[in-house]
Amino acid sequence: MKYKNRRPLTTTFWCLIPMLLVAALVFNGCTALEEARQRREKRLLEERNASSLMLKTPKAKIDPDNITEDALFGESDHYTIKFAEDLQQLPAFDEVDEREVFILSALGYMESLYDAMYELFGFHPEHQIHVTFHDRYRGSRLGAFTTTQYKRGVQDGRYTKSITGIKMDFPMQMYEKQGVRAHELTHAFTNIYYIPVWFSEGIAVLIQSEYVQGGLHRKFDSLKADVQIDINGENELENWVGHTENSPLTQWRYRYAYTLVAELWERYGNDFYIKVFELMEADGLHQQLESLMPTSILVYYFSKVAGEDLVPFFRKLHFIKVRRLTKEDIVKYVETLNAQIQRRRQ
Amino acid sequence: MRMKFNVRHPYTLLVLGLMCLCSGCVLGQQWSENYALQPGVTASDPTFIDGKPETVGQSQRKQSSGSALTDLNIPSEAIIHLPEKRSIYRIVIHSTNLEEFEVQAFDSLGEWQKIYDRRTNKDRVIDIRLNKVVTTTGIKLLVRRTTDDAARRRENLKLKRENVETSDGKRRRGRYLYHLTGPTTALAKISEIELYGYAN
Repeated sequence: MKYKNRRPLTTTFWCLIPMLLVAALVFNGCTALEEARQRREKRLLEERNASSLMLKTPKAKIDPDNITEDALFGESDHYTIKFAEDLQQLPAFDEVDEREVFILSALGYMESLYDAMYELFGFHPEHQIHVTFHDRYRGSRLGAFTTTQYKRGVQDGRYTKSITGIKMDFPMQMYEKQGVRAHELTHAFTNIYYIPVWFSEGIAVLIQSEYVQGGLHRKFDSLKADVQIDINGENELENWVGHTENSPLTQWRYRYAYTLVAELWERYGNDFYIKVFELMEADGLHQQLESLMPTSILVYYFSKVAGEDLVPFFRKLHFIKVRRLTKEDIVKYVETLNAQIQRRRQ
Repeated sequence: MRMKFNVRHPYTLLVLGLMCLCSGCVLGQQWSENYALQPGVTASDPTFIDGKPETVGQSQRKQSSGSALTDLNIPSEAIIHLPEKRSIYRIVIHSTNLEEFEVQAFDSLGEWQKIYDRRTNKDRVIDIRLNKVVTTTGIKLLVRRTTDDAARRRENLKLKRENVETSDGKRRRGRYLYHLTGPTTALAKISEIELYGYAN
């Protein structure tokens, strides 16, 4: 009797085992599928977010009371905006209402872009940025400019430079381009470290092209093959001291600077330049240089962050003035410079 | 048992029916809050999602090829990204110059799919009710034509005679050529883009 009762129990047990196994497999499969789905959605969102610059509503309050009655001037936390006289003649900006709407909207956009740049770089300029809108600036509708103004002086017995203001000039045709806005704002952020022109333009085009997807300059295929050198055998980028003209050489310089800056960025990671600026900030030596930072000092910072000596890389690209420096060399250079300037002032 | 349905007051029935229909419609169209104003939403121009109709943003031209001629027909875009998937039934666009446009939604394959298009528009507030629900994390407005295009074309496309200098130093009248000095289409001026689903 006992034996007879036990048999159906055993049968049920052996039936249940495979069912439980199947259920476990199905359940596990569902979890794996769900995880795969979540990973895919995350990847898609990352791709979506990387395809163009998207902005949040600004943290700063845009107050209509900070716009003058004639709507020729407006102000927010980080910007002031005004209209050049030639723009006031145009039908789109000749009435107070039109200008007021434009100022409110432009302040909103530029404040959002400021927040995005601050998030990207981790630092921001201390001064307000004074933006002037033009129909034409310096006779052209195709050039926007950012100027970092600074004063030199002796403080606590040491020569120092300090920023007094940042100025941006946009012809309206250039302001329409989101990439150009980001390019100019990158200058406003990074020029506080008095970096050389080639690096300043290279990083601005990098942000414009890779971060905003609004680039106007294409990368070269090869840094070596596409190099241009001057009569002294120096890379045409190294001797770039600024530009006002739009010559083929200027176009080449933009493209080559972008290619060079992007090369290091791809090689050493997205936060490479952030770390470079962090080092500069920690040292504070940029403020004690007489003019813009020499490329050798910049390469010293690059090498520190990269963890390898980048002087040979630059020398191969015909940066003939680049020398291998140590921190002591730079400090000594700054001290000598300081003594010379003090003597000159006396 | 036979039921007797005595219609004494047909008007009462009609009113009751209408009331039912009305309440059904009203209940069925309880719109959600505007998803574009929720935290974490981003846009190609933040003025689209600031909830202030007095600020006006612009659509953006796509990355240019570097050639003005190639870029001549590339439409500009206005994009809104949501932090999470939402079911959208209604899109409201506030624009003063939008004439012809297309609305696209970001699908689960990572592509932009057309969900609506309009060939002519004269309204300043464009209220779009979608035929079927769209569950998405992004909405893109593709601007095909604005009412300001003609003015922009007049400004940037000029017919000029191309005079030629001869070997003896004189100038000979040349043929007429079109000179392109900038984009021939205007950007859409958009003050708000509102996105709604049904309230839970």
